[in-house]
This record gives sequence, C-alpha cells and structure tokens, in this order.
Amino acid sequence: MTVSELPRKEANVLKGHEGAVLAARFNSDGNYCLSCGKDRTIRLWNPHRGIHIKTYKSHGREVRDVHVTPDNSKLCSCGGDRQIFYWDVSTGRVIRKFRGHDGEVNAVKFNEYASVVVSAGYDRSLRAWDCRSHSTEPIQIIDSFMDTVMSVRLTKTEIIGGSVDGTVRTFDIRIGREISDDLGQPVNCISMSNDSNCILASCLDSTLRLLDRSTGELLQEYKGHTCKSFKMDCCLTNDDAYVTGGSEDGSIFFWDLVDASVVSKFRAHSSVVTSVSYHPKDNCMITSSVDGTVRVWKT
Amino acid sequence: MDSDEEDYVFFGTPIEREEEITNRRKKAAAESSGNLRSVVPWKQEVRDEEGRRRFHGAFTGGFSAGYYNTVGSKEGWAPQSFTSSRKNRAEVKQQSIFSFLDDDEKAELEGQHLGTSSQFDTFGFTAAEYARKQADKEQKQRLVIPSVMMGMEVCWLRPSAIPGPVPDELVVPAAESIGVKLLLKMGWRHGRTIKDSHASSLYDARREARKAFLAFASDITKASHPADYEPVEDEPESLVEQPTVDDAKSSQSLPVFVLNPKEDLHGLGYDPFKHAPEFRGKAAPGFGIGALEEFDAEDEDVYTAGKYFTLVNMHLRVIKVYWSLWKAKLIASETIKMKSVTFYGGVKKSYFVFPKYMILPSFCVCALGYDFEETYVEEDEEPSRLSIVNKQKVVVKDQGVLPGFKLASVSDYQLERFDPPIIPKDFVPHHKFPGPLETLKKLDIPSPPEVPPPDDNNLKLLIEGVATLVARCGKLFEDLSRKKNQSNPLFSFLSGGNGHDYYARKLWEEHQKRGVQGKLPMDEKLTPSMQKMTAESRGKLLGEKPLERSSKETTSSSIASGEFAHLQSNLTDTFTKPASFSELPEVAKPFKDDPAKQARFERFLKEKYEGGLRSTGSSSASNMSEGARARERLDFEAAAEAIEKAKSGKGGVIPTKPFDFLATGMQFTSGGLEQVKDAHVEDLLTKKMYPRREEFQWRPMPILCKRFDLIDPYMGKPPPAPRMRSKMDSLLFMPDSIKGAKLEEDITNRDLPVAETDAQKTIEDAAEKNIEVEVEVENVERPVDLYKAIFSDDSDDDVEDSKTNKVGDPEKKIEVATTTLNRLIAGDFLESLGKELGLEVPPDMPYSTNKASSRTETRNGDAENAKIRPDDGRISYASNVASGTSEILGQENAQEGESPKNESIPGSSGRYSSKNNDDLSENVFDKRYVEKEKSAQKDRKPKSPSKHSRNWSSSSSSEDERSRKHSRRQRYRSSDSYSDSSTDHRDRSRSRSKVLVPSLPFGNPELSCDRALLFKMKSSMIGQGCSLINDMPPGSWLLPFRISSTVEVFKLRLQA
Repeated sequence: MTVSELPRKEANVLKGHEGAVLAARFNSDGNYCLSCGKDRTIRLWNPHRGIHIKTYKSHGREVRDVHVTPDNSKLCSCGGDRQIFYWDVSTGRVIRKFRGHDGEVNAVKFNEYASVVVSAGYDRSLRAWDCRSHSTEPIQIIDSFMDTVMSVRLTKTEIIGGSVDGTVRTFDIRIGREISDDLGQPVNCISMSNDSNCILASCLDSTLRLLDRSTGELLQEYKGHTCKSFKMDCCLTNDDAYVTGGSEDGSIFFWDLVDASVVSKFRAHSSVVTSVSYHPKDNCMITSSVDGTVRVWKT
Repeated sequence: MDSDEEDYVFFGTPIEREEEITNRRKKAAAESSGNLRSVVPWKQEVRDEEGRRRFHGAFTGGFSAGYYNTVGSKEGWAPQSFTSSRKNRAEVKQQSIFSFLDDDEKAELEGQHLGTSSQFDTFGFTAAEYARKQADKEQKQRLVIPSVMMGMEVCWLRPSAIPGPVPDELVVPAAESIGVKLLLKMGWRHGRTIKDSHASSLYDARREARKAFLAFASDITKASHPADYEPVEDEPESLVEQPTVDDAKSSQSLPVFVLNPKEDLHGLGYDPFKHAPEFRGKAAPGFGIGALEEFDAEDEDVYTAGKYFTLVNMHLRVIKVYWSLWKAKLIASETIKMKSVTFYGGVKKSYFVFPKYMILPSFCVCALGYDFEETYVEEDEEPSRLSIVNKQKVVVKDQGVLPGFKLASVSDYQLERFDPPIIPKDFVPHHKFPGPLETLKKLDIPSPPEVPPPDDNNLKLLIEGVATLVARCGKLFEDLSRKKNQSNPLFSFLSGGNGHDYYARKLWEEHQKRGVQGKLPMDEKLTPSMQKMTAESRGKLLGEKPLERSSKETTSSSIASGEFAHLQSNLTDTFTKPASFSELPEVAKPFKDDPAKQARFERFLKEKYEGGLRSTGSSSASNMSEGARARERLDFEAAAEAIEKAKSGKGGVIPTKPFDFLATGMQFTSGGLEQVKDAHVEDLLTKKMYPRREEFQWRPMPILCKRFDLIDPYMGKPPPAPRMRSKMDSLLFMPDSIKGAKLEEDITNRDLPVAETDAQKTIEDAAEKNIEVEVEVENVERPVDLYKAIFSDDSDDDVEDSKTNKVGDPEKKIEVATTTLNRLIAGDFLESLGKELGLEVPPDMPYSTNKASSRTETRNGDAENAKIRPDDGRISYASNVASGTSEILGQENAQEGESPKNESIPGSSGRYSSKNNDDLSENVFDKRYVEKEKSAQKDRKPKSPSKHSRNWSSSSSSEDERSRKHSRRQRYRSSDSYSDSSTDHRDRSRSRSKVLVPSLPFGNPELSCDRALLFKMKSSMIGQGCSLINDMPPGSWLLPFRISSTVEVFKLRLQA
C-alpha cells in the first residue's frame, strides 16, 4: 500500500450520537461498525452506505467500549456504570450484565470463541467473565496492575492489558506467566499488529510505542500528535505498513511503520479523535470524535 | 456459581420426577388397602390410580356404588373351577387383557389402536390386518367363543368352510400409497432398493474412501464397488453391463461387507504376492497394483484413473482424507511404500497405485518427494482390456465429475506460487566484513596529550612501529600482539606500562594520518594496501615472534620522518586538547563524599574524553559486581553530561548529591532524594530503562483455560493460597504473628501475669534506654487510631479499650505488650539495618506534632507503621527494606516451589490472625498505597486527580470486602490445621526462620548501594503480583529474625 492509498477521503459521516462518541469499531468482517458514546447508547451502522441500523440502549452511563463477536451475534459493552453488558445483536436485548468492577470499565473484548469477555477497569483489574454459564461472577480477576487498566487485547492464548501504571502486561494462559513490559509512561491504548508480533502502545506522553512482543524490545516511537489526557485509540493498517492514530486537536496521523515518519496528517474532526478503527481488508477507516460524529474514510 | 441449577436454562414445564409419582401411587395403594381393611365401606374414599380423590355423583353424573373399587360384584372374583376329564381335557388357556374387559371397554381399547390410514398404507399391512380382524369378528360371531377373544394371531383360526372373509383378507388393497406413487414417479420400480444411487457427493466420496480403505485392509475383491458407485440406469453406456448388474442389483441394498464378508485373518496392508510377485497374474510389471490387482473389471477406473482423472476439487477432499490417513499411519505406510517402490521401479510407465481417488495431488507428491509429472502417465499399457472397458472409460471420464456436475474448465484450485524475492538493485552479492580497519578510523577521537618519547631509543622505535602497524591493521593487531608479548617487558607499553602514553599518542597520530591521507586510496584500492603488508606484519598477525631487526626496519622505512613531523604540526593546530579534568572545579566533583568513586569517575571522564585505549581491567573496580558497575557507569555518564552542560553555560546546577538516576526514572519522589530535572538526562535514562521486561508467575483459573480451549498449565497442582494485595500487607501483619509467638509462649509457661508485667517492663526499659525509640513508639498508635476512626465497626479490635483498662482481658494485654516489644525491636532492627545499608537515620522525627497530638492516648505503638507513613522522610528505608526483603523472600519462596511446608504455613497463620486485624491492616495498606500513588502520578495524569479521591474510598471499601473474604478463607484454612499442636507449630516457625534468615539481603552488595535500588525494588514489589509470598503467613517474612529474637528476649526476661 502506498501513501496515496491511505484512506483520506471522507466517504460518510455517521451522525446520530448526542454528545461525544467514545469508540467506533468495525465488526470482524468490516461490513458494519459499532459506535458508543456519552449518550449512553451503542449504535450499529453500515459505514459503507452511511446507514444507521440499530440503537442499543440500556446503559446507565456513558459507554466506553464495545466489541462484537466474530459471528456478529453478540455484543459486549462497558462504561461508566461499572457493568459489562452482554447483548443480543438482533433483538437488542441485554442477555446478561456482569457486575463486579469497582470502577468504570474502560475496555472490553471477546475472546476468539466468544465464550469469555475480558474487561479492563478503573479498579486496576482485568476481569474475565464467562458467557457460557449463567454465572455473573468473574472467572478470573487479574489485579497485578498498579493503576487503571485502559485497554485490553486478546489473542488465542493471551490476555494483554495496558495500564496507566506504564506497563503492558501479557498474561499467557498456556504457560501461566505474566510478562510485564514497563514503558515508563502511562499506556492509553494498546493494539496488536496484524501478525500479532508487535504491540502498539499509545502513551500519554504523546508517543506511540511499538514493542516487539517476544523480546519486549522497543522497536519504534511515533510522535507528532497530541495525546495527553484523553483515552484515544491507535491502530495499524491492515497490512501493517502504517501506524495510525488520532490527535487531541482533531487530526489523524499516519506514520510509516518502519521509519516513523509522519506520512500523512489531516484534520478530520473538529475535536478530539477518540477512536480509530481500520477495516480488516479494505483501505477504509472509521474515526470517532468528541464532536459527536463517526466518519468513514476511504481512498 | 453457587448452585448448579443457576447454570442452566430451562425450557418448558419440568417433568415430574419419577419418584414423586410412584410415591404417590404407593401411598394411594397403601391407603386404599388400609381403608379397605379398617374403614367401613361407606366411609371409604374413592381414589384413582394416581391417588387423587375421585368425585362421584355430582361431577360424573352418578354416585359411588359401594363396590366401585372392587370387582363390581358382591362376590368379587370367583376363581374358575378347574375341570379336566379324559374326554375333556383342560385346555391351556391363555389369558389376555381382553379376557377381563367388558365389551364397552374392549371397544374403547380398540378405538385407541394406531394404524396407518389406508391412504398411506404403502405395503398394505394395515389393510391386511383390517381384513383379518374383520374375519375374526365374523368368525367370532359365527363360532361363538365366549371367554377368549381370538384377536391374536396365535389363536387365529382360519375359517374353513365359509369363504366370507377370505377375499378381504387376501386381496391387497388396490390403492397404492402416496409414498409408492411418489417413488414411482421419481423413477423407482418395484423390487428395487429405494436407495438413491446418486448420493450426495460428500457421502459418495466418503463411502468411496472407506471402501478403498477396506480394499487396502483386506484382499476382498471389490466386485460390487462400482455397482454402488455407478448410476445404474441413467447412463445408457452402462446398460452393457445389465446382465452382470443383476446380481449386483440384488445386492444393491446390501452393504459390501455383508456380501463379501472378510473371512481370512489377513491384516491391514497384507499382500499375498509379496514374496511371489510372479503370481501376480496379468498385471504388467510396471504396475505395482498390489492388493488392488485382483479387482474385477469394474475396477477399471483404477487404471484409467492415471489417464483420465484430473484434479477436481471435490476429489481433493478424498485425497486429503487419504493423505491424512497416511500421515496418521492409519494406512500402513508400507502399503504406500511398496507402491512407491514399484512406482520408481517402472522405468517410465508408472502409476500411482492407490484406489480410485488416490491420485496424489501435487502437494502430496511433492511432500513425498515424487515427481509430479510422473503421476500423469502418457499411455495406458493394459492390453487385456475389453471393449467394455473402453466404453466404461467414457463413463468414467464423465464420472470424474460427480453426477450432476460438470468438469470445470477453469479450476479454482491453483498451486500457490511464491515469486522469488526481489533483489534490491544495490545489492552486491558478496559480504563485506566490517573489519577492524574501518572501525577504528574515527577522526573525531580527541587526541591524547603530547608525551615526550621514552628515553630508550629502541623502545621508541618499537612503539612507533607498533603504532603504525596497529593503525594500519587495526585494533585486532594490537590485541594480538599484546596477548602474544604479555611476558615480554619490551611490549609492556601495550598494556599500560612504560611508554604507554607515548604509544597512545603515536597511535593516535597514525590514525589521524591514515584518516587524512589514506582515506582515498584505501577505499578505492583495498587490495594494493593489502599487498603492502609485509612478511613481518603478516607474521605478526599470524602470531609469529617478530625479529627485532626486521620490525625496526619496517617502522623506520614506513614513515618518512619529515613528512611525519609536518603532519604532526598540522594536526596539533587543528585539534584542540580538551581541558584536563584534573583541574576540575570543586563543584564538578559530584562524588566527593566517596573518594574511591570520585576517582573512578575521574578515570571515567578521562577515558571518555581522551579516547585512546581503555584500561580494560579497571582493577580497582573489579570487586564490584557487574550490575553495580553498570549502574555506576550510568551515573558517571549522566554526571559527565551534566558537567558538560554546566560548562557550556547552558545552566543547570551540578548536583552535589550523588546521582540517583534510577530513582528519577522511577518517578517516585521521596524526602531524601532530589529529583534531577534535567530533561536530557531523563530522556537518556528513559531510553536506557524502558521498556523494561519482567516476568512473573500467574495462575489462570481452570475455567478460563477451559474457555480459551487451552490446557491448564497448573493442572493438578494445589490451588493457590489466598492472595494478598501486596507484600506490603505482610509488613502490617506483624502484630498478629507476634501474637502467635506470644501465644506459644503462654502455652509453654502458663504464667500470664508474669509475662504481662515483663512485657510492661520491657516497654519501660526500652523507653528509658532510647528516646528515639520512644518517639517511634509513641507515634505508632496514631495510624491505628486513624484506621479505627475510619473502620470503627470493628468492635472487637478496640485497641484503646485494651489500653485504658489494663486489668481487662489478660490476653489482650499480653498481645499489646508483645506487640509493643516487638515494635521496639523492629525499630531497633530497622535502625541498625539502615546503618548497615549506609543510610543516614534522621535523628529528628518530622512528625513531632503527631506525637504531641497522639501522646495522650498512645502508650505503645508500632515503629513501622509510623515509618511507613507516606509523607515522612523515613518511608524510604522502612518500606524499602521491607519490600526488599519481602521480594527476596518471595523469590526464595518461588524457588522452594510448593513444598509441603509452605503449604502448611498459611493454615497456621490463619489461626493466629484475627479477622479484624486483617481488615484493618489491609485497609491501611490500601489507603496508603492510593495516597502514594496519587502523589507519584500527579504529573502523569493531569486530568484525574479528582478521580483519585473517589478511587480511594471505593477501592478501600472494596478492599474491605475482599479482605473479609480473604480472612474467611483463611479461617477456613485454619480449621484444617487446627489440630496441629502448638509445639509443632513453633517448631515449624523455628525451622522456617532457619531457612529464611540466610536469604536476607544484608550481605548483598547490591542492596547496600543506594536508595534508588530500594526504590526500584519497592516499585517492582508493588507491581509484582507475586503470589508466592502469600504462601507465607502474614508477617512471616519478618518473622524469622523477629520471632526468634522476641522469644529470646522474652525468655531472658522471664528468667530474670
């Protein structure tokens, strides 16, 4: 993918949220996207046609993160009401609510089989919840973090959490080890490269850091944007050629993965870009912002 | 997870459990029988078989008629009288239910029979039966058999005379059922199996695979295989086969193995002709048909396969099955091997002899190492094929595609080919080693000072010569010659001896010279310069001992002296010498309080700025550990940087304190440490420090592993001990454990008052002895009060009460006393530890105000609690020591693994720890932790200070809850070990102390270095979820040396 193919043209604007949109996520095949925000709703969109499909209302406070199963049948979401909601996508009903976090829940993810939801909370813990049983107790509490856990990622065998204490901790279920990579700066968001060899960690010193997962080595640092006080996402393009992330001034940055140069930067939103999500296959990207819109970008 | 039922979703109404129903029935039966026996008839209640009361009369239009529950007559059952005579033999009468039914009941029963309605009566069974029944009825009417109804076939008597019912019975209903009609319309004919000959491709393929597998397994001829496979009627071509198909048709509904059962005992892959290949019959030698060759003509496709089959995607599935079978050793590998041998044996005509579908696709072939082209052989060399065969080939050709499908002209399946990597244009196909020649050539190396040449002219010449050589051949040469001439005093200049400075200077000059003049020719023509290497130099490189004379000659000839002098003057003009660090201002001596270190620092600077040779074996520092040296180097680096800055006038005061860069990187501020605000230094440090990787043990829950579809790495290992928030807890659990020790004491010498008074005495003694200790002592109580104020609901932990009325609970008092004593000792210990670590113990307590405020109510206290308070200066080592030790202990524990001893410890501790204390101290910790965190992260999180306060309360309350759970668990555990005798416990604690004491970090040079390290330890400790430390009872990490000392002190006291 060359620089010219980066999704920089605005294809659609998804308007509907009242207030800040806190996260926007593609589903696994990239045909739909979900957004959630301060208006306590989750919205399902077709970003390619710009259509709003469904609204999920049940949260009592802002919704901070949402994730959908690979088969698109279930949702999980979390937010300021300290609960994780487990939704049925088609009916829009809440199947279950997982309570147990002692603070706001920042991020939530399904595992590969959609049998477990792992959530990251303000209470310095990662919790795993069982979707298969009726139990609403967490099946695992990981509380080795020293501060708020901002972001969580799952692989087939690992749980990875990024925390404000500056660590990215990988919990390998297979061997029962915790690997802690201390970055020295509060970690805002982590995301994985598509080959899952690297972790991209967005730190609150306005730097994205690329870590080699096997060695814990710092491979590259990406600078230029502003990220100091907001929970903001970052991600890699689907071919791992570029790193992308938003900035607090409303612009979107693209860095070259290898030489860390800013290859593209443009103003996308009028306010803080809270979330970026890259299409799994195409050159397409969605961004959400505090200005209340979700924007779809294509080449 | 509390109850299993919650885990399931229930649909529909639950089925009543069997027992309930049967119980009710039994009850009903018993009741009714009881009724019958005891109660007068008119009081009997009528119940049905379910035991429910029946309402007669109004509801059913009648009334209970006395004998309702009995037979129905006053007499009840009258046994049939048995009569048998010679003429009239008693028949064996078979009774059925019908024997006992009334007519209307029979009719009712009859109506309930299920039968196929005539419309769907495919085979006429129902009709026949119906007819039969009709006949029965008529018969019954005719030959009146009153008691036995002849409904059953057993007693069925064919009416002999009157043919009335016979036609009904014999005539099969004319109407064909819908099913038959449908089948007929679909092409089915009577007498044929209904089985669909065009099975789904998947099924077909699977069946074929299975069959082929069977063929491998035994020698059964595969006579009927293709009969199943081929569409029987649809293709006109196969009509040729019709005569033979006959018997196949009969077997159409029969599976092969029934038709041709395996009767021999041959195993998988058996080849009857293995040792007698000449009996293989008609098969051509090139055809390694093997087990397959006996197959009948219908196996034609085996042969044609090679010719006609192409790789259709659908076949791939089958092939894959085979492949996986082979891989899984299900198909005997020898089977395939055998064929491969023949395959290679056949010079050019070679077939793959696998069953029909077993044409190996390219990937298999490649994997097997066969040539792909060879599987498609040009000519079928089978002469004995009949004309049928040819026709069949056509069929088979079509059959290559499953019926209903067409052979795709463009196959989706394509070999994935990877293009060779694109070679960059500037790629040179030979590797160039970064030789020592290039590495040394750096023009910006600061020049060593001008040194007068040594007096000895020979030495001078030698030095010059070596310098030239070294400059030409690189550092490697120098190292080599140094090693070689280690014993030779002439060469001592190489290793810092006589004339070293001159040598360094010379070397530098040579480097400069080469750098200036040799740059161009060297790069262009490397080989000429190589040619310049003389025999001597080569010999030197190779380690030969150089001849004195020749080396001298080399040196003298290599440089024209005039040119050299010229160059030298040029160079001295261009390069300025750096200021010598010997005249450093006093302020630039950052390590002046440690002369040795300062000396090392100066040497470091010298090396750094003067370049040249590094004294490799810095002997003075050799007693330092590798880690310490590295750390020191880091310090030096930064200090030098700072000095440089200060010199360049950029500002920045050179800190007079030692640099604690680790601490600054940690962002942990403490009273004793001054944070260096030098952004550059910080940046440098951050780069060096981060990212930092650590590994810990972590135990995933079994259910989590299950949900992730992984194997639990800790499967079969005992469950983890209840987890504490941090090792800091253990520090605060101190009193409990001491109480434990005290209790032991009680048990051993049942003299409570003595112990008490002794304890008091100890306190007083200590107070008199050491004011400082007293200060500590008196400060201790405050935190406890604070916590009590917060968590006042812990009623039985009323420490104040126990203090105010001393004559209260003796146990409590003793506890207080021991605690106090222990705290004193702890204070002493910490102080001494601080001294040992080379830390200054601040003589004045920064919280004297606290003292004043709390004096009234405090008598004895906890030195540690006071010390750990986050805002005072002493936190640094109190907590650090704690963390340090605890970490090390934790590691040690980790090494010990799950020894039974460790496992038993939590139980014993649970016994001595009271729930409230747990709660309290854990809360204490948490709150403090949050506080600390807040201060530490004030600069990190600009937006969240308000949140922090919230977190404080919420987390502490949650902590409360958690710890309660925790303590519950502990109590539970304690019940397990309650039976342990106290002596036993003491023994164990003793032994534990023996184990743990040596591992304490006092002797560790690492630990004695500085606070920064301690801070690091602390921080890592907080972050570390080291659960192993939790295997020990709370406070037990301090126990080993404490408990022993306490006990000893007590014993001494008691003796006195």
